[in-house]
Amino acid sequence: MLASYLPWLGIAASAVQEPAGYWMGAIHGPVAATLSGGTVIHTKKLAALLKMGDVMVIDVSDAPRRPDNLASGAVWLPLPHPVIPGALWIPGAGIGAINPSVDKLFRECLAQRTENDLAHRLVIYCHRNCWLSWNAAKRAISYGYRNVFWFPDGMEGWRAAGLPTATAEPLLP
Amino acid sequence: MGVTRTVLLALAVSTLAALGPSRVAYADDSEAQMRAHAAQDEAERAARWQQLQQAVFGKRALADGAGVIQIEAPEHALDAALVPITLTMKSATPIKGLYVVIDNNPSPVAGHFTFGPRADPRTLKLRVRVNQYTFIHAVAETVDGKLFVSRQFVKTSGGCSAPVGADNADALKDIGLMKLHLLGPFSPGKSLQAQLMIRHPNFNGMQMDQITRLFTPPRFIRTIDATYDGAPIFHLDSDISLSTDPVITFGFVPDKKGSMQLVVRDSDNAAFNHSFAVPAG
Repeated sequence: MLASYLPWLGIAASAVQEPAGYWMGAIHGPVAATLSGGTVIHTKKLAALLKMGDVMVIDVSDAPRRPDNLASGAVWLPLPHPVIPGALWIPGAGIGAINPSVDKLFRECLAQRTENDLAHRLVIYCHRNCWLSWNAAKRAISYGYRNVFWFPDGMEGWRAAGLPTATAEPLLP
Repeated sequence: MGVTRTVLLALAVSTLAALGPSRVAYADDSEAQMRAHAAQDEAERAARWQQLQQAVFGKRALADGAGVIQIEAPEHALDAALVPITLTMKSATPIKGLYVVIDNNPSPVAGHFTFGPRADPRTLKLRVRVNQYTFIHAVAETVDGKLFVSRQFVKTSGGCSAPVGADNADALKDIGLMKLHLLGPFSPGKSLQAQLMIRHPNFNGMQMDQITRLFTPPRFIRTIDATYDGAPIFHLDSDISLSTDPVITFGFVPDKKGSMQLVVRDSDNAAFNHSFAVPAG
Protein backbone atom coordinates (compact mmCIF):
# COMPACT_ATOMS: atom_id res chain seq x y z
CA MET A 1 0.00 0.00 0.00
CA LEU A 2 2.66 2.45 1.10
CA ALA A 3 5.03 1.33 -1.64
CA SER A 4 2.42 1.98 -4.31
CA TYR A 5 2.24 5.64 -3.24
CA LEU A 6 5.98 6.19 -3.39
CA PRO A 7 6.47 6.66 -7.15
CA TRP A 8 3.48 8.97 -7.16
CA LEU A 9 5.24 11.09 -4.56
CA GLY A 10 8.45 11.05 -6.57
CA ILE A 11 10.32 9.14 -3.89
CA ALA A 12 12.35 6.01 -4.44
CA ALA A 13 10.98 3.11 -2.43
CA SER A 14 14.35 1.88 -1.20
CA ALA A 15 15.94 3.75 1.70
CA VAL A 16 19.17 5.53 0.84
CA GLN A 17 22.20 3.75 2.26
CA GLU A 18 25.00 5.68 3.92
CA PRO A 19 27.83 6.09 1.42
CA ALA A 20 31.25 4.90 2.58
CA GLY A 21 32.81 8.31 2.00
CA TYR A 22 31.20 11.68 1.47
CA TRP A 23 28.04 11.95 -0.60
CA MET A 24 29.13 13.11 -4.05
CA GLY A 25 25.78 13.00 -5.82
CA ALA A 26 23.05 15.60 -6.16
CA ILE A 27 22.84 17.70 -3.02
CA HIS A 28 19.06 17.73 -2.83
CA GLY A 29 17.16 14.46 -2.59
CA PRO A 30 16.34 11.68 -0.14
CA VAL A 31 19.10 11.42 2.47
CA ALA A 32 20.40 8.53 4.58
CA ALA A 33 18.57 7.77 7.83
CA THR A 34 21.78 7.29 9.79
CA LEU A 35 25.27 8.73 10.25
CA SER A 36 28.05 6.42 11.46
CA GLY A 37 29.87 7.89 14.41
CA GLY A 38 27.21 10.54 14.99
CA THR A 39 23.68 10.87 16.28
CA VAL A 40 20.61 11.75 14.26
CA ILE A 41 18.47 14.24 16.16
CA HIS A 42 15.00 15.54 15.40
CA THR A 43 13.32 18.84 16.15
CA LYS A 44 11.81 18.25 19.57
CA LYS A 45 14.91 16.61 21.02
CA LEU A 46 17.11 19.29 19.48
CA ALA A 47 15.09 22.06 21.10
CA ALA A 48 15.53 20.30 24.45
CA LEU A 49 19.26 19.78 23.85
CA LEU A 50 19.80 23.47 23.06
CA LYS A 51 18.08 24.46 26.30
CA MET A 52 20.73 22.50 28.18
CA GLY A 53 23.41 24.77 26.70
CA ASP A 54 27.04 24.10 25.73
CA VAL A 55 26.12 23.16 22.20
CA MET A 56 27.71 24.59 19.07
CA VAL A 57 25.26 24.82 16.15
CA ILE A 58 26.46 25.05 12.55
CA ASP A 59 24.35 25.75 9.48
CA VAL A 60 26.05 24.61 6.25
CA SER A 61 23.38 25.78 3.77
CA ASP A 62 24.50 27.27 0.48
CA ALA A 63 24.75 31.06 0.28
CA PRO A 64 23.56 32.97 -2.77
CA ARG A 65 26.44 34.40 -4.79
CA ARG A 66 25.90 37.49 -6.89
CA PRO A 67 27.28 36.90 -10.39
CA ASP A 68 29.91 39.57 -11.18
CA ASN A 69 28.41 40.03 -14.62
CA LEU A 70 24.82 40.62 -13.52
CA ALA A 71 23.44 43.69 -15.29
CA SER A 72 24.08 46.82 -13.24
CA GLY A 73 20.37 47.58 -13.03
CA ALA A 74 19.37 44.03 -12.09
CA VAL A 75 17.50 43.52 -8.84
CA TRP A 76 19.72 41.49 -6.47
CA LEU A 77 17.89 40.95 -3.20
CA PRO A 78 18.75 37.68 -1.44
CA LEU A 79 16.39 36.91 1.42
CA PRO A 80 17.82 37.39 4.93
CA HIS A 81 19.17 33.99 5.96
CA PRO A 82 17.35 32.48 8.95
CA VAL A 83 19.34 30.26 11.32
CA ILE A 84 18.74 28.53 14.63
CA PRO A 85 19.58 31.30 17.15
CA GLY A 86 23.31 31.29 17.91
CA ALA A 87 24.24 29.16 14.91
CA LEU A 88 27.30 29.86 12.79
CA TRP A 89 26.66 29.77 9.05
CA ILE A 90 29.54 28.17 7.13
CA PRO A 91 28.51 27.65 3.48
CA GLY A 92 30.54 25.07 1.60
CA ALA A 93 31.48 22.95 4.64
CA GLY A 94 29.21 20.18 3.38
CA ILE A 95 30.44 19.90 -0.20
CA GLY A 96 31.57 16.33 -0.95
CA ALA A 97 34.93 17.48 -2.30
CA ILE A 98 35.53 20.42 0.01
CA ASN A 99 37.53 23.46 -1.01
CA PRO A 100 40.72 23.39 1.14
CA SER A 101 40.22 26.98 2.34
CA VAL A 102 36.69 26.16 3.54
CA ASP A 103 37.99 22.99 5.19
CA LYS A 104 40.52 25.10 7.10
CA LEU A 105 37.89 27.65 8.09
CA PHE A 106 35.47 24.94 9.26
CA ARG A 107 38.15 23.15 11.28
CA GLU A 108 39.37 26.41 12.88
CA CYS A 109 35.86 27.62 13.74
CA LEU A 110 35.10 24.36 15.48
CA ALA A 111 38.40 24.35 17.36
CA GLN A 112 37.95 27.95 18.47
CA ARG A 113 34.34 27.72 19.58
CA THR A 114 34.78 24.41 21.37
CA GLU A 115 38.14 25.51 22.84
CA ASN A 116 39.67 22.38 21.31
CA ASP A 117 37.31 20.16 23.24
CA LEU A 118 36.61 17.16 21.01
CA ALA A 119 33.86 16.05 23.38
CA HIS A 120 31.93 19.30 22.87
CA ARG A 121 28.46 18.80 21.42
CA LEU A 122 28.05 19.91 17.79
CA VAL A 123 24.77 20.17 15.89
CA ILE A 124 25.01 20.39 12.12
CA TYR A 125 22.11 21.11 9.80
CA CYS A 126 21.04 22.72 6.52
CA HIS A 127 17.75 21.91 4.81
CA ARG A 128 15.40 18.97 4.78
CA ASN A 129 16.42 16.42 2.11
CA CYS A 130 19.83 18.01 1.70
CA TRP A 131 23.13 16.14 1.91
CA LEU A 132 25.30 19.13 2.83
CA SER A 133 24.72 18.72 6.57
CA TRP A 134 25.26 14.96 6.40
CA ASN A 135 28.64 15.53 4.75
CA ALA A 136 29.61 18.32 7.15
CA ALA A 137 28.66 16.21 10.19
CA LYS A 138 30.71 13.33 8.80
CA ARG A 139 33.59 15.75 8.30
CA ALA A 140 33.37 16.99 11.90
CA ILE A 141 33.50 13.36 13.06
CA SER A 142 36.61 12.87 10.89
CA TYR A 143 38.22 15.85 12.70
CA GLY A 144 37.81 13.82 15.89
CA TYR A 145 34.63 15.27 17.43
CA ARG A 146 32.84 12.59 19.41
CA ASN A 147 29.45 14.23 20.07
CA VAL A 148 28.21 15.19 16.65
CA PHE A 149 24.48 15.53 16.09
CA TRP A 150 23.07 15.65 12.59
CA PHE A 151 19.71 17.43 12.32
CA PRO A 152 18.17 16.27 9.01
CA ASP A 153 14.85 18.11 9.53
CA GLY A 154 16.82 21.28 8.81
CA MET A 155 15.49 24.81 8.85
CA GLU A 156 12.18 23.59 7.38
CA GLY A 157 11.60 21.25 10.33
CA TRP A 158 12.70 23.88 12.83
CA ARG A 159 10.34 26.50 11.44
CA ALA A 160 7.46 24.08 11.00
CA ALA A 161 7.63 23.50 14.75
CA GLY A 162 7.19 27.24 15.30
CA LEU A 163 10.64 27.62 16.88
CA PRO A 164 12.43 31.00 16.82
CA THR A 165 15.09 31.95 14.26
CA ALA A 166 17.77 34.59 13.99
CA THR A 167 19.43 36.11 10.94
CA ALA A 168 23.05 35.33 10.10
CA GLU A 169 25.71 36.38 7.63
CA PRO A 170 27.84 33.66 6.03
CA LEU A 171 31.37 32.93 7.23
CA LEU A 172 33.52 32.75 4.13
CA PRO A 173 37.22 31.97 3.76
CA MET B 1 13.58 9.72 8.67
CA GLY B 2 12.73 12.99 6.96
CA VAL B 3 11.63 11.15 3.87
CA THR B 4 9.57 8.64 5.77
CA ARG B 5 7.83 11.38 7.64
CA THR B 6 7.10 13.34 4.50
CA VAL B 7 5.59 10.23 2.95
CA LEU B 8 3.44 9.52 5.95
CA LEU B 9 2.34 13.11 6.15
CA ALA B 10 1.43 13.18 2.47
CA LEU B 11 -0.50 9.94 2.90
CA ALA B 12 -2.23 11.30 5.94
CA VAL B 13 -3.27 14.38 4.01
CA SER B 14 -4.48 12.40 1.02
CA THR B 15 -6.52 9.99 3.14
CA LEU B 16 -7.83 12.92 5.14
CA ALA B 17 -9.45 14.25 2.01
CA ALA B 18 -10.97 10.86 1.28
CA LEU B 19 -12.20 9.98 4.74
CA GLY B 20 -13.54 13.29 5.95
CA PRO B 21 -12.89 14.73 9.40
CA SER B 22 -9.77 13.34 10.97
CA ARG B 23 -6.58 14.65 12.47
CA VAL B 24 -3.15 14.87 10.96
CA ALA B 25 -0.64 14.05 13.65
CA TYR B 26 2.68 15.84 13.51
CA ALA B 27 5.51 14.43 15.55
CA ASP B 28 6.82 17.79 16.71
CA ASP B 29 4.24 20.40 15.95
CA SER B 30 1.33 21.45 18.08
CA GLU B 31 -1.58 23.03 16.23
CA ALA B 32 -1.01 26.40 17.90
CA GLN B 33 2.61 26.35 16.74
CA MET B 34 1.51 25.46 13.24
CA ARG B 35 -0.91 28.37 13.14
CA ALA B 36 1.69 30.79 14.49
CA HIS B 37 4.15 29.52 11.92
CA ALA B 38 1.66 29.96 9.06
CA ALA B 39 0.84 33.51 10.17
CA GLN B 40 4.55 34.39 10.44
CA ASP B 41 5.13 32.99 6.95
CA GLU B 42 2.22 34.97 5.51
CA ALA B 43 3.50 38.20 7.05
CA GLU B 44 7.03 37.56 5.78
CA ARG B 45 5.81 36.79 2.27
CA ALA B 46 3.69 39.93 2.16
CA ALA B 47 6.64 42.03 3.35
CA ARG B 48 8.91 40.44 0.75
CA TRP B 49 6.49 41.20 -2.08
CA GLN B 50 6.18 44.78 -0.88
CA GLN B 51 9.99 45.10 -0.95
CA LEU B 52 10.15 43.66 -4.48
CA GLN B 53 7.24 45.71 -5.76
CA GLN B 54 9.08 48.80 -4.58
CA ALA B 55 12.37 47.66 -6.18
CA VAL B 56 10.86 46.75 -9.56
CA PHE B 57 7.86 49.06 -9.99
CA GLY B 58 8.59 51.90 -7.58
CA LYS B 59 5.46 53.79 -6.62
CA ARG B 60 3.33 52.52 -9.53
CA ALA B 61 0.02 50.96 -8.54
CA LEU B 62 -0.61 47.27 -9.22
CA ALA B 63 -4.21 46.21 -9.82
CA ASP B 64 -5.62 42.75 -9.12
CA GLY B 65 -4.92 40.72 -12.26
CA ALA B 66 -8.03 38.54 -12.09
CA GLY B 67 -9.44 38.28 -15.60
CA VAL B 68 -6.37 39.93 -17.16
CA ILE B 69 -3.45 37.70 -16.28
CA GLN B 70 -3.31 34.19 -14.94
CA ILE B 71 -0.23 32.26 -13.88
CA GLU B 72 -0.11 28.50 -13.60
CA ALA B 73 2.76 26.48 -12.13
CA PRO B 74 2.86 23.09 -10.46
CA GLU B 75 2.43 23.50 -6.71
CA HIS B 76 5.02 20.76 -6.15
CA ALA B 77 7.51 20.94 -8.99
CA LEU B 78 9.59 17.80 -9.42
CA ASP B 79 12.70 19.61 -10.57
CA ALA B 80 13.42 22.98 -8.96
CA ALA B 81 15.81 23.85 -11.79
CA LEU B 82 13.07 23.38 -14.42
CA VAL B 83 9.79 24.72 -13.12
CA PRO B 84 7.33 25.17 -16.00
CA ILE B 85 5.07 28.20 -15.82
CA THR B 86 2.20 29.14 -18.09
CA LEU B 87 0.89 32.69 -18.39
CA THR B 88 -2.48 33.47 -19.88
CA MET B 89 -3.36 37.06 -20.67
CA LYS B 90 -6.63 38.61 -21.78
CA SER B 91 -7.27 42.32 -22.01
CA ALA B 92 -9.33 44.78 -24.05
CA THR B 93 -6.43 47.23 -23.85
CA PRO B 94 -3.46 45.57 -25.59
CA ILE B 95 -0.70 44.16 -23.40
CA LYS B 96 2.74 45.57 -24.01
CA GLY B 97 4.83 43.84 -21.38
CA LEU B 98 5.07 41.06 -18.85
CA TYR B 99 7.23 40.61 -15.74
CA VAL B 100 7.84 37.26 -14.05
CA VAL B 101 9.05 37.72 -10.48
CA ILE B 102 10.17 34.78 -8.35
CA ASP B 103 9.92 36.37 -4.93
CA ASN B 104 12.41 34.32 -2.95
CA ASN B 105 15.11 33.94 -5.58
CA PRO B 106 18.17 36.15 -4.94
CA SER B 107 17.69 37.62 -8.42
CA PRO B 108 13.90 37.74 -8.39
CA VAL B 109 13.09 39.19 -11.83
CA ALA B 110 13.24 36.06 -14.00
CA GLY B 111 12.11 37.84 -17.12
CA HIS B 112 10.70 41.04 -18.53
CA PHE B 113 9.02 40.59 -21.91
CA THR B 114 8.22 43.53 -24.17
CA PHE B 115 5.79 42.60 -26.92
CA GLY B 116 6.01 43.99 -30.45
CA PRO B 117 3.44 44.38 -33.25
CA ARG B 118 3.83 40.75 -34.42
CA ALA B 119 3.16 39.27 -30.96
CA ASP B 120 0.07 37.49 -29.72
CA PRO B 121 0.66 37.66 -25.97
CA ARG B 122 -2.37 35.60 -24.94
CA THR B 123 -0.33 32.52 -23.95
CA LEU B 124 3.29 32.32 -22.92
CA LYS B 125 5.22 29.45 -21.36
CA LEU B 126 8.71 29.30 -19.91
CA ARG B 127 10.83 27.33 -17.48
CA VAL B 128 12.51 28.87 -14.47
CA ARG B 129 14.71 28.05 -11.49
CA VAL B 130 13.20 28.20 -8.02
CA ASN B 131 15.55 28.43 -5.05
CA GLN B 132 13.07 27.87 -2.23
CA TYR B 133 9.35 27.82 -1.45
CA THR B 134 8.04 30.99 -3.02
CA PHE B 135 5.32 32.98 -4.62
CA ILE B 136 5.80 33.65 -8.31
CA HIS B 137 4.20 36.92 -9.35
CA ALA B 138 3.24 37.68 -12.94
CA VAL B 139 2.66 41.33 -13.81
CA ALA B 140 1.13 42.37 -17.13
CA GLU B 141 1.47 45.93 -18.39
CA THR B 142 -1.11 47.31 -20.82
CA VAL B 143 -0.26 49.98 -23.43
CA ASP B 144 -1.88 52.66 -21.25
CA GLY B 145 0.73 51.92 -18.58
CA LYS B 146 -1.48 50.04 -16.13
CA LEU B 147 -0.10 47.05 -14.22
CA PHE B 148 -2.03 43.90 -13.31
CA VAL B 149 -0.70 41.23 -10.97
CA SER B 150 -1.42 37.55 -10.29
CA ARG B 151 0.50 35.04 -8.24
CA GLN B 152 1.03 31.35 -7.64
CA PHE B 153 2.78 29.57 -4.77
CA VAL B 154 5.40 26.93 -5.63
CA LYS B 155 6.79 24.42 -3.15
CA THR B 156 10.16 23.32 -4.39
CA SER B 157 13.74 24.24 -3.54
CA GLY B 158 17.35 23.92 -4.62
CA GLY B 159 17.06 25.08 -8.22
CA CYS B 160 19.85 27.62 -7.97
CA SER B 161 22.63 25.29 -6.86
CA ALA B 162 21.46 22.27 -8.87
CA PRO B 163 24.23 21.14 -11.24
CA VAL B 164 23.50 21.69 -14.90
CA GLY B 165 24.76 18.29 -15.97
CA ALA B 166 27.48 15.81 -15.31
CA ASP B 167 30.03 17.87 -17.15
CA ASN B 168 30.36 21.59 -17.81
CA ALA B 169 32.20 21.10 -21.12
CA ASP B 170 29.29 19.01 -22.30
CA ALA B 171 26.79 21.66 -21.20
CA LEU B 172 28.64 24.28 -23.28
CA LYS B 173 29.19 22.10 -26.35
CA ASP B 174 26.26 23.17 -28.51
CA ILE B 175 25.74 26.55 -26.88
CA GLY B 176 23.48 28.79 -28.91
CA LEU B 177 21.88 26.00 -30.92
CA MET B 178 18.17 26.70 -31.42
CA LYS B 179 15.11 24.82 -32.53
CA LEU B 180 11.71 26.21 -33.36
CA HIS B 181 8.53 24.18 -33.50
CA LEU B 182 5.34 25.67 -34.90
CA LEU B 183 2.50 24.25 -32.85
CA GLY B 184 -0.26 24.67 -35.42
CA PRO B 185 -0.98 25.14 -39.11
CA PHE B 186 0.20 28.33 -40.82
CA SER B 187 -2.46 30.66 -42.14
CA PRO B 188 -1.61 34.26 -43.15
CA GLY B 189 -2.74 36.77 -40.55
CA LYS B 190 -3.71 34.07 -38.06
CA SER B 191 -2.12 33.68 -34.65
CA LEU B 192 0.30 30.79 -34.30
CA GLN B 193 2.06 29.32 -31.25
CA ALA B 194 5.78 28.62 -31.53
CA GLN B 195 8.05 26.73 -29.17
CA LEU B 196 11.62 27.99 -29.07
CA MET B 197 14.32 25.79 -27.56
CA ILE B 198 17.76 27.27 -26.92
CA ARG B 199 20.79 25.25 -25.94
CA HIS B 200 22.47 27.29 -23.20
CA PRO B 201 23.59 26.20 -19.71
CA ASN B 202 22.54 29.54 -18.22
CA PHE B 203 25.13 29.04 -15.46
CA ASN B 204 24.20 31.26 -12.52
CA GLY B 205 27.53 31.12 -10.67
CA MET B 206 26.07 29.08 -7.78
CA GLN B 207 26.65 25.63 -9.22
CA MET B 208 29.66 23.80 -7.85
CA ASP B 209 31.76 21.56 -10.03
CA GLN B 210 32.26 18.46 -7.87
CA ILE B 211 35.47 17.57 -9.66
CA THR B 212 37.32 20.91 -9.70
CA ARG B 213 35.70 22.02 -6.37
CA LEU B 214 35.13 25.42 -7.93
CA PHE B 215 31.99 27.34 -8.64
CA THR B 216 31.23 27.28 -12.34
CA PRO B 217 31.60 30.87 -13.63
CA PRO B 218 28.26 32.51 -14.34
CA ARG B 219 27.27 32.63 -17.98
CA PHE B 220 23.64 33.41 -18.66
CA ILE B 221 21.28 34.76 -21.28
CA ARG B 222 20.73 38.50 -21.03
CA THR B 223 18.37 39.15 -23.92
CA ILE B 224 16.34 37.33 -26.55
CA ASP B 225 14.89 39.16 -29.56
CA ALA B 226 12.32 37.51 -31.80
CA THR B 227 11.24 39.30 -34.98
CA TYR B 228 9.18 38.35 -38.00
CA ASP B 229 10.48 39.72 -41.30
CA GLY B 230 12.08 42.45 -39.23
CA ALA B 231 9.00 43.36 -37.16
CA PRO B 232 9.35 42.70 -33.41
CA ILE B 233 7.53 39.80 -31.76
CA PHE B 234 9.12 40.13 -28.35
CA HIS B 235 12.21 41.32 -26.54
CA LEU B 236 13.14 39.52 -23.33
CA ASP B 237 15.44 40.83 -20.61
CA SER B 238 16.52 38.02 -18.35
CA ASP B 239 19.28 36.64 -16.19
CA ILE B 240 20.03 33.76 -13.87
CA SER B 241 16.51 32.64 -12.95
CA LEU B 242 15.85 31.27 -16.42
CA SER B 243 16.43 27.51 -16.54
CA THR B 244 19.24 25.71 -18.31
CA ASP B 245 18.37 25.10 -22.00
CA PRO B 246 15.46 27.56 -21.94
CA VAL B 247 12.22 26.67 -23.66
CA ILE B 248 9.83 29.52 -24.43
CA THR B 249 6.45 29.06 -26.05
CA PHE B 250 4.85 32.22 -27.42
CA GLY B 251 2.23 33.42 -29.87
CA PHE B 252 2.90 35.45 -32.99
CA VAL B 253 0.93 36.59 -36.00
CA PRO B 254 2.67 35.92 -39.36
CA ASP B 255 1.00 38.21 -41.91
CA LYS B 256 2.44 36.19 -44.81
CA LYS B 257 4.99 33.47 -45.49
CA GLY B 258 8.31 34.69 -44.18
CA SER B 259 10.97 34.02 -41.61
CA MET B 260 11.42 34.43 -37.89
CA GLN B 261 14.75 35.75 -36.70
CA LEU B 262 16.09 35.08 -33.24
CA VAL B 263 19.00 36.83 -31.57
CA VAL B 264 20.17 35.57 -28.19
CA ARG B 265 22.83 37.52 -26.31
CA ASP B 266 24.56 36.25 -23.20
CA SER B 267 26.69 37.63 -20.38
CA ASP B 268 29.92 36.69 -22.21
CA ASN B 269 28.79 39.08 -24.98
CA ALA B 270 28.22 36.16 -27.32
CA ALA B 271 25.39 36.62 -29.83
CA PHE B 272 23.60 33.66 -31.39
CA ASN B 273 21.49 34.25 -34.50
CA HIS B 274 19.05 31.90 -36.14
CA SER B 275 16.43 32.26 -38.78
CA PHE B 276 13.50 29.91 -39.30
CA ALA B 277 11.18 29.75 -42.29
CA VAL B 278 7.45 30.07 -41.55
CA PRO B 279 5.87 27.74 -42.42
CA ALA B 280 8.75 25.35 -41.82
CA GLY B 281 10.59 23.77 -44.76
